[in-house]
Amino acid sequence: MVDFLLQVITMSSPLLLMAMAGYASERSGVINIGLEGKMLTACFVCAAFAPMYGAIGGVLMAIVAGIIISLLHWSLTQVYRIDHIISGMAINLLASGGTGFLEASGYAKSTIADSQRIPLPVYYVLAIGTPILLFLVANKTRFGLRHKSVGSDPDKARLLGINPQRVRFMALILTGIFSGLAGSLLVTETSTFTKDMTSGRGYIALAALILGGWRPIPAALSCLLFGLATAVQIQLSGKPLFGVEIPSEIWKMLPYIVTLLALAGLLGRNRTPAGLGKH
Amino acid sequence: MRPKVIILFICAIAVIVVSLLIVKADLREAFTTIVTGSLGDMGKLSGTIKEMTPLLILGAAVYLALKAGLFNIGAEGQYTVGACFASFAMIAIGGPLGVAVGCVTGVVCGALWALPAGLIKAYRNGHEVITTIMLNAIAWNLTKAMVAGPLKGKDQLTPSTSVMPAQTQLTPLFRIGNLEIPQSFVIGVVCVLVLAYWLNKTIGGYELKATGANSTAAKFAGVKTKQVTIKAMLLSGGLSGLAGALQVAQFEHRFYDGFSTGYGFDALGVALLAASNPFYLFVSAFFFGALNKGGTALAILGINKGITTVILAAVILMFAVVRYSKNQVNNG
Repeated sequence: MVDFLLQVITMSSPLLLMAMAGYASERSGVINIGLEGKMLTACFVCAAFAPMYGAIGGVLMAIVAGIIISLLHWSLTQVYRIDHIISGMAINLLASGGTGFLEASGYAKSTIADSQRIPLPVYYVLAIGTPILLFLVANKTRFGLRHKSVGSDPDKARLLGINPQRVRFMALILTGIFSGLAGSLLVTETSTFTKDMTSGRGYIALAALILGGWRPIPAALSCLLFGLATAVQIQLSGKPLFGVEIPSEIWKMLPYIVTLLALAGLLGRNRTPAGLGKH
Repeated sequence: MRPKVIILFICAIAVIVVSLLIVKADLREAFTTIVTGSLGDMGKLSGTIKEMTPLLILGAAVYLALKAGLFNIGAEGQYTVGACFASFAMIAIGGPLGVAVGCVTGVVCGALWALPAGLIKAYRNGHEVITTIMLNAIAWNLTKAMVAGPLKGKDQLTPSTSVMPAQTQLTPLFRIGNLEIPQSFVIGVVCVLVLAYWLNKTIGGYELKATGANSTAAKFAGVKTKQVTIKAMLLSGGLSGLAGALQVAQFEHRFYDGFSTGYGFDALGVALLAASNPFYLFVSAFFFGALNKGGTALAILGINKGITTVILAAVILMFAVVRYSKNQVNNG
């Protein structure tokens, strides 16, 4: 049972951090399909630099990389005014192609040694702490209020003297920080970088965010639900169910099916930030 | 052109150049390899056309969805599922009839695979990008389980169906010297022409475009936007499934784990570059086909194919800044 709970935490922590990265961006009105790419880049950078600069250095580099990619998304959507979805897709392609290309060319090949990683419990505490932190920021601080107002109606926010672009700039820096942490966590768990290792976690985190109605605490709970689905899949994989042998691939589909069902059935009332995708 | 657009162009090209420099590649050699490797002689050109064929049909599929305001990232999954079940039908029935039945199976399976995304988008407003990505992941796992288990060929060691006999394969339509025009390519051309006619000359196509341009306005003009959304996803999925079935019949002659090499994602680039005119699909599909074929030639030089994905992303961004930078909004 303890093992199982630990597995749920292991599986949901990267999702939690990613969902919070998504929260920071989407609540300010920037659609972020590019979460997957940000996380993948962070994974790669952490794997590439941790053996050189040690644990803290690797994570810091991953965070810097996350912020750079996030700000690329900011400039494309806010300065160049590209459709947010296209920008996000291009970032995903860039990350997937670029990291795969660099990995095949011999970068980030070495395994991260134990001394080169921050212990996993530190990440878990961070992952569980961030939704609470973001909840407090959103409801108790001036920035949180501005953040939400920009996401709800950028035009009215502008009339009140808030510069939406600037608020979104700060929001996307937050996205970068959380993506960097999520990526480092993922690569710390596996010790090596493999091509496309995030395998859709960015999208699942986004689904969790939608399921949670773009609010930090409910989004965190949805992440735990997805973590639970993955943990169940790992527990049951390879075991016959009612005497029938079920291939492991069928079990691997479980978290994705849960995501689909969540989007299909449990969405409830529409809580989409009204200013999502508006300038 | 505004200065900030020029800055972005310079940055995008710099990204490509820097990534080539990081792996210590000779820039001129790399670019000439891409060009000669894809267009160098008739044999290479045939290879480019082979790469172009699925891109053309999938590009048409994604283009259709795009016109309805939907980003069908799921073309990849619909293509995989279509190919998997089409190969099963082709092997089970065999002969020219098998190919025909297989193609229909591919269309139906692809359309059904896109249906959940359409329904969720229309009735629950769940974003199609997320649902189709989830459906992709499910498709990969499902088809892998199928070819590892029930559909596995008796003579195969890896997860794969058995190879189809010669009479169940599509032959090239004609050959001129080394230049080969496959039948599936011609079917792809017909698909694009029919799509162009349908979008521009019929009521259904008009309603679809109206929904994509402004769904609220379309709704008030009496268009049943929910039905149009579902129809667009079904048609897009059907076309993707057809692409998969034809790929099996014409080129691969079997279905195996890892069948799709990312055509569905490239197709998004093809459709985005075609932008306003479906006939541009020919140009953009040819461009991406050449890039794919040239990328294979690069792999021989020891440069990973991932670089073509980077080029793809850079091209999409450069193009998007010019073409899609107005206030086009897709509420997610």
